Amino acid sequence: MSERKRLMIIDDDPDFVAGIRAILDGAGYDTEVAYNPKDGFAALKARPHDLLLLDIMMGRGAEGVMMARKLRKDPVLKDLPVLIITGIREQIAFMFPGQAVHPNFVPLNELIEKPVEPDLLLERVRALLKAAETRGQPVA
Amino acid sequence: MEGSARILVVDDEEIVLDSCTEILRGEGYQLATASDGARGLALVKAFRPDIVVVDLKMPGLSGFEVLERIRETDPTVVAIVITGYATVSSAVEAMKKGAYDFLPKPFTPEEFRLIIRRGVEKRSLVLETIALRRERDLLREHFAAIVSHELKAPLAAIQQNVFVLEQQLATAAPDLRERLGRVKARMADLLQMVDTWRKGVSIDIDAIKTHLAPVSVRVPIDKAVESALVYATRKGVTIEVAVPEPSPRVLGDQGTLTEALVNILGNAVKFSRDGGRIEVTAEVRDDDVRLAVADHGVGIAPDDLPRVFEAFYTQPGAAGERGSGLGLAVSRRIVEAHGGGITVQSTPGQGSTFVITLPALGGDGPGAEGPEAEPLAASAKDGPR
Repeated sequence: MSERKRLMIIDDDPDFVAGIRAILDGAGYDTEVAYNPKDGFAALKARPHDLLLLDIMMGRGAEGVMMARKLRKDPVLKDLPVLIITGIREQIAFMFPGQAVHPNFVPLNELIEKPVEPDLLLERVRALLKAAETRGQPVA
Repeated sequence: MEGSARILVVDDEEIVLDSCTEILRGEGYQLATASDGARGLALVKAFRPDIVVVDLKMPGLSGFEVLERIRETDPTVVAIVITGYATVSSAVEAMKKGAYDFLPKPFTPEEFRLIIRRGVEKRSLVLETIALRRERDLLREHFAAIVSHELKAPLAAIQQNVFVLEQQLATAAPDLRERLGRVKARMADLLQMVDTWRKGVSIDIDAIKTHLAPVSVRVPIDKAVESALVYATRKGVTIEVAVPEPSPRVLGDQGTLTEALVNILGNAVKFSRDGGRIEVTAEVRDDDVRLAVADHGVGIAPDDLPRVFEAFYTQPGAAGERGSGLGLAVSRRIVEAHGGGITVQSTPGQGSTFVITLPALGGDGPGAEGPEAEPLAASAKDGPR
């Protein structure tokens, strides 16, 4: 890695965040955390990030979905790779990576279920970062 | 019913309306009257009665027509008919059209009061049933949501930190790592159980039936095997899959079919001894696709065989594992919603074979355009119980 990649985590569960953050920090990533979508969006706008790890069920419902939709409409952030980490896979069951997107949902890059094994988490993060690089898109 | 019951009397004879009003005075009801069917129907909408008493024989709209229109407007309204010519046949006809009861003319005040009282009781029951049903559905949804989020979120957070701890203790004393391994394993069981419970509660059979699409059985089999692999690997159990090419196809719901297989596979792992082997096979036999999961584990005693698909029936696994007792029950519900059946054969000490039978879908059709759900109904009864 030529330079440390900066990852944004948006999740309202501090204990869960502590768990994945330790894994990501240990693997040499710079992590930043927001505990609600609003702060998270502001942070993404304020500084460039290489990847977003996004929780779905936040606040009063699936606020993560709204967040992802908002990102895809943003001219700068629309290409930011998003890794969804969710407690309940079925609620967005129709969405699987590489497949057609559920009409009520959002395009995103990957989805994994909580809790996530460290190796799997790191593998997915690595793969998404690599894919973004080979796309040649300067990430926001 | 909140407040006093609302009663509408529809009769072309003024004397009947007057006497009904008189009889019910002081009984605590709200009363409205109409002198013909059209006015009566207008009042059904405006007055929103709990009970409608309607004369069968009226000029203009007949009582029968009024009954029918009431059904269309609000089928929960309790209708009582007054039969002028006391013939049983017209009363029977009215009951067929949805009337709750009938009152032959002439009637005594006591008869009228009684039939109204019974009608009000009926109406309360109808409303209560509707409310309870709604509440049941809500509870089911809420329970599923609560279980999935409120229960699973903290468990996931704990387990996530256990994962980290495991990394950090990679070089710690073996007994420390072993203890942590136990914590992690039990936490994984608990997460699995929460998942199974939630699915058991929230699986909507009707929804499955309306979302059937052609599915290659290879897909749910692979997904299920992938899902069971962590647990299997932990026990040193190997899973062998043999599915013909091209894969047999069924009309199904991929997500729930996977779920059905996951439960059976999880079960097979659970009852396998360490280092055991599980075979998953698919074949077309006659007009059915047979998916079999065979283990060589501890098996099931003949006495217990009929009960394995019952909810909350549970046996400790080969290594003492505990389950929710819901997995196989959920699997059976899913398979039956697909118009299929599920059976088990077992020899104690030698292992068990679970077989899911689903109506096969012609495999060589162009693309994913499968036939409609018609074959399901025909084969549903064939499903072994």
